[in-house]
Amino acid sequence: MTPHWKFWVIGGLLVAVLAAAIYFPILRRRVKRAARLQQQSEEQARRELAQPIAINPGDPRVKTKLFWASDTIDSTLVPVTVELPLSSDPVVRSKQVLNTLLAGPVDTELRTLPPDALLLAFYLLPDGTAIADFSEALATSVPSGIVSEQLAVNSIARTLEANVPQVQRLKILIHGQEMETLAGHLDLTGAFVVNTKAAQAPVKPASTP
Amino acid sequence: MASPFGAQTQQAGLNIVVLDPAHGGTDPGARGTGGIRESEIVLDFAIQVRRALELQGFQVVQTRQGNEDPSFDDRSATANAQRGAVFVTLHISSTGLPGTARVYVNSDLPPVADSNGLIPWDRAQAPFLGLSKKFGDLVQGFLFQRFKGSPEAAQTASVRQLRTTAAPAIAVEISSVTVENRADLDRMAPGVADAIARGVAAFKPSYVVASTSGAPR
Repeated sequence: MTPHWKFWVIGGLLVAVLAAAIYFPILRRRVKRAARLQQQSEEQARRELAQPIAINPGDPRVKTKLFWASDTIDSTLVPVTVELPLSSDPVVRSKQVLNTLLAGPVDTELRTLPPDALLLAFYLLPDGTAIADFSEALATSVPSGIVSEQLAVNSIARTLEANVPQVQRLKILIHGQEMETLAGHLDLTGAFVVNTKAAQAPVKPASTP
Repeated sequence: MASPFGAQTQQAGLNIVVLDPAHGGTDPGARGTGGIRESEIVLDFAIQVRRALELQGFQVVQTRQGNEDPSFDDRSATANAQRGAVFVTLHISSTGLPGTARVYVNSDLPPVADSNGLIPWDRAQAPFLGLSKKFGDLVQGFLFQRFKGSPEAAQTASVRQLRTTAAPAIAVEISSVTVENRADLDRMAPGVADAIARGVAAFKPSYVVASTSGAPR
């Protein structure tokens, strides 16, 4: 009787191990797929929340200066002028120009901002301080380094300066939070002076981008 | 607030260089496709810069010796504890023309309004911006002679590390981790070290702090 009992136990264990060997890879694939789907749906939700302000064709078309990287001079910005129908409301107008800047130039090599970065929110305080809240991709996907981080912030600041005169200072948030740096170098704790002539009131610690 | 003991008339000249190899520990800094890590290369650069400075007779203090990652404030504190020091933070960029080197000094900071002689910690660099620019231009000039395509004068940027440093302070950024072979960066190290050492030596006569100056609080 004993040998038979052992035979069935060992047999049962072997079947269980075999079943696990077949099932575990399937389970792992399912878990990975579920994680990927969750990540995608979070990103989708973020994108839906941050739907770019639509360009209204009824708005007057104005020459808009967008600052992207120069293809001839290393690590510098050049203005590219395009005609866009822009709102006269400074907040809507700021969102429109920043979303166009984020969309990037035709030559992707001249981008200054990561392609997956989004403008989540934009506010303009009565004293002319703009608060631009970007998605985490701005900090995680921008190449780390003083020159690349400065190019990214300068392209935002100079594009605002050229197109929205009401903006005098710029405070950058990442996903609603104040960050110490953009990607390890450029200081984000203060507000950047956008319009050097208008922004004279002291703000802690203001910096010229 | 720092104690007023830090506020006293100084006639100290420049004799200490605080070298800051950026990043470290869990923060590798910029990373190249060939596995190049900024935090490792700047540490190697620091060894050569240190040697060049010591040959010129300067005392060198490093903010990190190995693979640690002191905070920005800890690194600044190392510099702020010295008298008659300059601060040089070393970086390797992710972008830019490979084989070039750029010097950065902090952008304008609001003037320090305190009349008690103490410098606010978060704007400790403010009283030193002029000296930093002079120091940066000198180092950049020597880098320009060595590395074709580098700027002739120091640039300004809101570099977080510099803001809390109460000394003439510059960031030196080498381009870049995108080089295919790490040897391309290693070859730049002696030239960078020599340019920094010559820049410090040329700056030395300008660095006499005769007025009262306070410790950052």
